[in-house]
Amino acid sequence: MIVGRREAWTGRLLLVLLMAVTIMPFVSLFVTALHPSGSYPSGLEWPRDPQWGNFVKAFQAAQMVELVKSSTLIVLGVVPISLLLGTLAGFAIGHLRMAGRNVVFLVFVLGLTLPFEGVITPLYYQVRDMGLLNTRWAIILPLIGLYMPFAVFWMRAHFVNMPDELSESARMDGANVWQLFWRIHVPLAMPALSSLAILLFLWTWNQFLLAIVLVDDPLKRTMSGALGAFQGQWGTDMPLLCAGSLLILAPTLVIFLIFQRRFVTALLQGSLKG
Amino acid sequence: MSRRTRWNRAAFAVVMGGALATGCGAPGGDAPQPEATGASLSAAPTCGTEPVTLNAYIETGFPLPKELSTEFSKQYPNVKWNIREDQFAVITQNAPRVLADDPPDLMRLPQVSELVKNNLLKNLDGYAKAFGWDSWPASQLEQMRMAPGGKTRGEGSLYAMGLNFSMTGVFYNKKLAEKIGMSSPPATLAELDDAMAKAKSAGITPIAQFNGGATGGLAFPLQDLMAAYGPPGPINDWIYQKPGATIDTPANLQATRHLEKWIKAGYFWKDVNAVDYATMMSRFIKGDGLFMFNGDWESGNLDKQMPGEVGFFLMPPAQQGGKQAAMSAPLTFGISSRAKNADCAAFFLNWVATDPKAREIGVKVGGSHPMGPADAPMPEVAEDTVTASTLAAGAKIAEDNGAMDFIANATGAIYAKSWTPQLQKLVAGQQTPEELLKSVQSDYVSQVKGS
Amino acid sequence: MTRPTPDSAVASSATGPGPAAVTGKRSPARAAGLRTPRWVGWLFVAPALAVYAVFVLRPIALTVQYSMYRWDGIGPSTWAGLDNYVEVFTDPDLFASILNAVKLIVFFSAIPVVLGLAIASTIRRIATSRLALVARTVLFLPQVIPLVAAGIAWSWLLSSTGLVNQLLTYVGLGGVARAWLGDFSTALPAVGVIGAWVLLGLCTILLLSGMSKIDPALYEAARMDGAGPLREFVSITVPSLRQEIGVCVTVTVIAALASFDIVYVSTQGGPGNATMVPGLEIYYLAFSERQVGMASALAVVLMALVILVALPIQWLTKDRTS
Repeated sequence: MIVGRREAWTGRLLLVLLMAVTIMPFVSLFVTALHPSGSYPSGLEWPRDPQWGNFVKAFQAAQMVELVKSSTLIVLGVVPISLLLGTLAGFAIGHLRMAGRNVVFLVFVLGLTLPFEGVITPLYYQVRDMGLLNTRWAIILPLIGLYMPFAVFWMRAHFVNMPDELSESARMDGANVWQLFWRIHVPLAMPALSSLAILLFLWTWNQFLLAIVLVDDPLKRTMSGALGAFQGQWGTDMPLLCAGSLLILAPTLVIFLIFQRRFVTALLQGSLKG
Repeated sequence: MSRRTRWNRAAFAVVMGGALATGCGAPGGDAPQPEATGASLSAAPTCGTEPVTLNAYIETGFPLPKELSTEFSKQYPNVKWNIREDQFAVITQNAPRVLADDPPDLMRLPQVSELVKNNLLKNLDGYAKAFGWDSWPASQLEQMRMAPGGKTRGEGSLYAMGLNFSMTGVFYNKKLAEKIGMSSPPATLAELDDAMAKAKSAGITPIAQFNGGATGGLAFPLQDLMAAYGPPGPINDWIYQKPGATIDTPANLQATRHLEKWIKAGYFWKDVNAVDYATMMSRFIKGDGLFMFNGDWESGNLDKQMPGEVGFFLMPPAQQGGKQAAMSAPLTFGISSRAKNADCAAFFLNWVATDPKAREIGVKVGGSHPMGPADAPMPEVAEDTVTASTLAAGAKIAEDNGAMDFIANATGAIYAKSWTPQLQKLVAGQQTPEELLKSVQSDYVSQVKGS
Repeated sequence: MTRPTPDSAVASSATGPGPAAVTGKRSPARAAGLRTPRWVGWLFVAPALAVYAVFVLRPIALTVQYSMYRWDGIGPSTWAGLDNYVEVFTDPDLFASILNAVKLIVFFSAIPVVLGLAIASTIRRIATSRLALVARTVLFLPQVIPLVAAGIAWSWLLSSTGLVNQLLTYVGLGGVARAWLGDFSTALPAVGVIGAWVLLGLCTILLLSGMSKIDPALYEAARMDGAGPLREFVSITVPSLRQEIGVCVTVTVIAALASFDIVYVSTQGGPGNATMVPGLEIYYLAFSERQVGMASALAVVLMALVILVALPIQWLTKDRTS
C-alpha cells in the first residue's frame, strides 16, 4: 500500500509537471503580449504596466471579425459537403457492398497518408486555371477532395458494423435505397458523423499550407493562414504578435473548452480508428 | 468470378481515367504576351475622378509607402488603397507568382531581370516620356532599365520606378564611440578595425548586425568590404548579369576573409544567426552595438529614437584617400503587366518624385534622397541629424561614381538560397571564404542559366 | 497533412479488429446488396470519387508528370526525364532536407512515444482521478491550436532572451544558453522539441486509454509471480498496447516526414539549411525558385517515403490475434 501511495504521488507530480510544460508557451505568449508594443521583453517577466490595450490593438490590426467570418465561411463550405459525400460513399462501400467496392476502398485508403505538400504544386495551377485563385473556393474545393479518404474510411467503418437486418425490415415496409439511407441509416450514424464533423472542423480551421499558397488575401484565408500573414506583417513587434496569436487561438480554444469531452473522444477515435 | 473481375476492372478504369485525364501535353506555355505599353501616350495619365482602388504589395516595417499613400489619398480622394505587407524575403520569393497570377498595381520589387524575361512587368517607357522622367539624372533610373529580353540590366527600357534613392554605409553610436575615444569617423579600413578592437576590449559589441531567418544581414558588411578592397564596377557587372561576370575575384576573397576575421574576433553578437532585422534595430537603439551596417532608410527613425546620438559614415577605403563606394539603389516599385490601374499607379509614382509634400515625406520618413529632376526643391533638413549626413554622403558617392546595387539582388533566389545560408555557415565556422564565393558563384551560374 | 491524426487511420486498411469480427455475423443473403441493382452503390460513391479524382488523384498524376519536366511555372517546359530525381538524390542540399526529416522522427516519434509510455504507466493508477481528467483536457491543447501558433510561441520561448534561457540561467546553466533556433548544432533538435511538445499529450492520452483496457488480473498474476514494475511494463503493458503504440508511431512519423507549418514559422529552414525539410523545400522550389519540375520530383519522393515508412509500421504492430 505504501508503495502504491508513493506511486500515486509520483504520478500526480509528473502529471502536474507535464501540464506545466504544456501550458508554458501559452503563458509566455500572454505575459509578452502585455508588454509595451514595440518593446523587446526578455523571458517571462511581468510588465510593470500591463498593456491590456495591446489586445484591442491586435484585434483591430488582425481584423479579427473578418477573420472569424472568413474561417467560418470556409468551414461551412467544407464540412457539410465532406460529411455528405463521405457518408454516401461510406454507406455504399460499407453497407450496400456494391461490386468493385474493394478496389474503390483501396483507392481511397491510399490517400490517407498523403502529405498535402505532395499535391500542392499541381493544385495551385489547377485552381488558377479554374479562376479560383484568391477566393475561398480555392481552399474549400481541394480540402473536400483531400478529406475524402478519411471521411469515407471513417463512415465505412461505421456502416460496416450496421446489421443487415435493419435494412431488411425497412425493405419489407417498401422503402427504397434512398429512403433507407436517409430515414434509417443517417439518424443512426449521428454519433460517428458528429465526431467526424469535429475533426474536419478542426483540420479546416487550422489548415495552413493551402491557405498560404492558394490565397494571398489574409481576410479570405483560414485562421491559421491569417496568423501566418499576421506574423509577416507584425513579426517585428513581439508583444503585438503575441497578442494577435492569442486572439487567433481563442476561437478554437473556446469551442474546445465548451465541447471538450466530445473533442477528446473524437480525437482519440480519430487516431484509433486506425 | 468473371463478373466480379469485370466490375473491378471497370472501377479501376473509372478511377484511373479520372486521374489521368490530365491532358497529356507538357505543362506550361501560356506566358503572358508582352504589352506594348512602351507606345507613347497622347497625354500624361492621371487617376481620373472615378473611385479607384490601387492594389499595392509593400514591405513590412518601413512606414514610407504607407505615409505616401495616405497623403496621396488626401490630395486625390477618389483613390483608395488596398495594401498587402510582407517581409522583404517573402516578397522576393513571391514576386513572379504574384505578378503573374494576382497582379498588383504597385509592387515593391527586389530586382527586375527575371520578371522582365517573363513579361511580368509593365514597360514604363511610355510613362517616362509622358511625365518627362527621361530628363532626370540618368543614374537614378539605370538600375531599373533592362535590355530587350531581360538579358542585361542597366540599359534599355524602364521597368520600374523608385520611391526614393537610398544608400548604405555605417551608422555608429556616438556615446559608445566617445567611450573608446573615437572622435571622428574612421578614414581607412585599418582605423575601422582599430575602433572595433578597442570596443571589443571595452566590453562593447563592435557590430550590431542581423543574420537570422531568410535574410543574411552580413551581406551588408561583406559588400562594403568588397567595395573597400576593389572597384564597384565588376560587382555591378555581376549583379546586372553581364556575360562572364563572377563574384569569385581576388578582391572579393580578401573582403570575405576580412569579414571572417571580424567573426572570429567576436565582433558580432554571439546569436547573430538568430537576430532578425527588427531585433537588430531594437538592440542598437537600446545602445547595444557600436557600429551598424545599414541604409539611410533608417535615418529618419534613428533621428526620432536617438536624437543627436547617431552618426553615419561611408565605408572607409582600404587606402587613405581611396575612392568610396556604397550600395545605393532606388526603393524599387514596379507595375504588373496585368495591372488594372496602371495609369493611376504611374501617376502616383510621378507624384512621389515631384509633389513637394511627397518629397518632404520621402526625406523625413524615408530618410533618403527623393527621385526626380536634379533641380527639384529639396526639403530642409536640420544640420546635426543623421539624415543630413546620409544625404551628404549621397553626394560623395555620386562624385566618386561609387554606386553599387546590392549583391543580394543579382537573381531572385540568390539572397534566400545562397548568400543567407552561406553567410550563416561562415558565422558558424562551417564554411571558408574560398568555398563561400565558389558556392555562391555556382548557384548564380545555374540560376542565370536556368531561368 | 499537417495534422497528424487522420493519417493514422491507415492503421487498419481493412484489417481492424472491429469490422472483421462483425462481418462474420452477417446474414449470408446480403440483404441490401441483393435487392438493390449492383450499380446503385456506384451512384452513392460517384460524388465522393469525383471530387477525390479531381483534387487528389489528378494532382498526384500531375505531380508525377511535372517531375519529368524542367519548368519555371510560367513559360514553356522541356522534357527532363529522370534528371530531377537524380538531382534530388545527389544535390547535397536537397538530400539533406530528406535526412533532416528522418532525423526529426527521433523527436516527433521516439520522444512522445517513449516518454508517453513512461508517463502513462506512472499515472495509470490515478487515471480516473479529478487531476487526470483535467490533465486530459490540458494535454490536448496542443492538438487543438494551429501549429503555426505553436511555432510562434516556441520561437519566442527558444529565442536568446526567451524563457528557456532564463530558466537555464536560473539553475546555473547560463553557459549553455543560446539562440536555440539560430545555432547550427541545436536548430534541428529545437524544431524537434516543438514537435514533441505538440505530440506528447496525444500519445500519452492515447496510450493511457489503451492501458485502461488491459485486464487488471494480468497485473495481479504478475505480482503473484513476484514481477517488479519493470517486468510488468515489459511483459504486460507494452505487448498489450501494441495497437496503440502502432497508431502513435504512425501518426508521429508522418508528422515528422511531412512537417511544414512549424518549420515555416520558426526557422524557415535556417540557419544555413540546418532545418530544411522536404515539405518546405517543395514550397520554396515550386513557388519561389520556380523549379516546378524539381519540386515535383521531391514531392513524389516524399509521398513514396511516407508510404514506405507507414506500411511496415502498420504491418509490424497490427494486432494479429483477431
